[in-house]
Amino acid sequence: MLTDTELAEAYTATCHAVSAAGERSELYLARLSLLLMKELGDPKRIQAAISQAQLSD
Amino acid sequence: MHSYFEYTHYPYQPVPLVEAADPQRHAITIVGGGPIGLTLALGLARQGVKSVVIEPRDCVSLGSRATCISRRSMEIFAATGCASRILVEGLNWTSGTSYYREKPIYRLQMPMDANQRFYPMVNMQQCMLEQCILDEVLTRSNLIELRWQSKVMSVAHDAEGARLQIESPQGSYAIESDYVVACDGARGVVRQALGLKFAGTQYEGTYIIVDIHLKSEYPTERRAWFDPPSNPGATILMHKQPRDIWRVDYQLRDDEDAAEAVKPEQVLPRVKAHLDWIGETGTWEPVWISSYKANCLTLEKYNHGRVLFAGDAAHLVPIFGVRGLNSGIDDSFNLAWKLAYVVKGIAAPLLLDTYSDERVFAARQNIAAGAKSTEMMAPPSHGFDLMRQAALSLAAEQPMGESSFASLVNPRQTSAITYLESRLNSASSDAIAPRVALGAVLPEYPWKSVDAGGSSGMHLSEQLGKGFTILVFAEAAPDLRNLPAPATVLALGARASVPALYEFFSAEEGVTIVLRPDAHVLAKFAHADLARVCAAIQSALR
Repeated sequence: MLTDTELAEAYTATCHAVSAAGERSELYLARLSLLLMKELGDPKRIQAAISQAQLSD
Repeated sequence: MHSYFEYTHYPYQPVPLVEAADPQRHAITIVGGGPIGLTLALGLARQGVKSVVIEPRDCVSLGSRATCISRRSMEIFAATGCASRILVEGLNWTSGTSYYREKPIYRLQMPMDANQRFYPMVNMQQCMLEQCILDEVLTRSNLIELRWQSKVMSVAHDAEGARLQIESPQGSYAIESDYVVACDGARGVVRQALGLKFAGTQYEGTYIIVDIHLKSEYPTERRAWFDPPSNPGATILMHKQPRDIWRVDYQLRDDEDAAEAVKPEQVLPRVKAHLDWIGETGTWEPVWISSYKANCLTLEKYNHGRVLFAGDAAHLVPIFGVRGLNSGIDDSFNLAWKLAYVVKGIAAPLLLDTYSDERVFAARQNIAAGAKSTEMMAPPSHGFDLMRQAALSLAAEQPMGESSFASLVNPRQTSAITYLESRLNSASSDAIAPRVALGAVLPEYPWKSVDAGGSSGMHLSEQLGKGFTILVFAEAAPDLRNLPAPATVLALGARASVPALYEFFSAEEGVTIVLRPDAHVLAKFAHADLARVCAAIQSALR
C-alpha cells in the first residue's frame, strides 16, 4: 500500500507528465495504464480497476 | 459595505532631530509595524531589548487578510503577552470537510488532545489580531518606540550597521541603527533597496477573497468545495471569523480578467448562488473584496550583514495551508532571542546565521507543502486539472474516509517546523526521551505548579523561562548555577509522583532537556550534568 505521502508524490509526478504530454496526454495516460498493468501483474485486480474506472456520467 | 471593526488612528509623535537626523543611534530598527514586526518587537522586549518600529500607516492594516492563527503562533503570542487578548474573540477550531460536487469526500482533523493549551487553529481577522498585538506593544513603550506615518525611502548598510532615510510628517530624516530587520512585507522597500530578488514559482491562477457579514450558526471549521453545483468548475473555501464575518474564497477561470472579476457585480451573484445552495438563508452583505495569486518564493538567505528579513519580506507562501502569517510569526520569535543575545553580547553575531539557516529551511518546507495544496486548489496546468478530476471522482464514488484518493485534498495545514539539521542541536542519543525530538518544539503537557511566587500555570509551556530552560526529570532541581546564559531550571518531580509525565515523554529519571528561549529542543542528556548542559548552551552561543 502507498502511504498518503507516496501517493501524493506519484500523483504530482503524473500531473507534470500529463501536462508535458500536451495534446498527446491521452496517449500518455494509455501508455501509463499499460505499464502499470504489467507492473501489477494480477489479471483480477486489473479487471477490477478497469471496471472501477468506468465513467458514470 | 458592512463594517465590523473600528480603526484607531494613532498620532505622529515628533522625533527630536538634529540636522535632519535622529541623534540617537539605535540598536535595532524594525521596518514594518505589521504582525511580524510588532511580534518581533515584543519578542525583543521579552528579552529586555529596545527597538524602534517604522511604519507608514497610522493604524493597523486594512481588511481581514490572514485569518487563521496556528497553535504554534498562539504559543508565541502567549510568550509575548498577546494570547489572552486574542482568545477574547478568536474562534477555536479543529476540523473541516472537503466536498466534490454535492458529496463530502474528506474530513480534516487537526491534532487535538487533552494535553493541549491551544486549539490547532484560531480564526481572527488580521486587523483585529494586529490590534491585539498593538495593544500589548503600547504597554511596552519603555522598550518599543513605534513611529507611525514614517516611511523608509532608502537603506545604506555596512559592516557596523545601517542608515535609513525616513519620510515623515516632520520631513525627511536619517536614522542609524546597529541592526535593521525588514518586516515590510511582500513589496518591502528594504529588499528592493538591497537589490535582493525572490526565487521560486509564481502561480497564474487567481482567487477572489470575499468577506461577508452573515449570522449563521454553522460551526467554525474549514469547508472546501470542488466543482460545486452553485459555481460549476470553481473551487470555493469558507471560513468563519469573529463578529459574524465569513470568508469566502473562490478560484477564477483562466479566461477571466481579475480586475473585472473583483467588482461587486461580478462577485456577489457567485457568493449568493453558493450561500443559497448550502442553505444559508439569512441576510448578508459584503465587507471586503480582494484578489490573490499563489506564490512560492523566498530569498536565499535572511541575513545580509546587519540587515535581516522576516515574514513576507523574506518569503511568500501560498495561502492554502495558512502558512503566510504563521511562518512570519515563527520567524520573528526565532529571531527575537538570537538578535537580543547578540545585541546584549551574550552570543556571537554568528548566531544570526542560524536564524537564516533554520527559517530558510522552514520556508522551503512551507513552500513544498503550500505548493501541493495550491496545485489541488487551483490546478496550474492541464495535467493537474485532469488528474484532479480523476482523483475527486474516484474519491466521491466511495463513502467518506474510505478512498485513499481523498487524502490528496488534505489541505496540509501548517504545523510547527522541526529544525532537523540546525547547527544549534547538540548531539545526543535518540534513545533519551524519544518523544522529545532535537530541534522540535517541546510537546505540550498539562502541568500544575505552585511555586514560591504562587503562580499556577496549567501547561508545561507556561513554565518555560524567557532564556534557556533546563527541564530535569527529578524530584529536586540539581545545582546548575553559573550557566553561560540566562536560564531557568525546572524539576518535574520524581517518577513516583508524576508517572504519566514520565510515560508521555518516555523519560527515565534523571533525563535533562535543554530548551532554547523559543522552546525548541537544544539538547537531551540522560543525567543532569552541569558541564554538558553548559557546553550545549555555550556551543549554541558561539
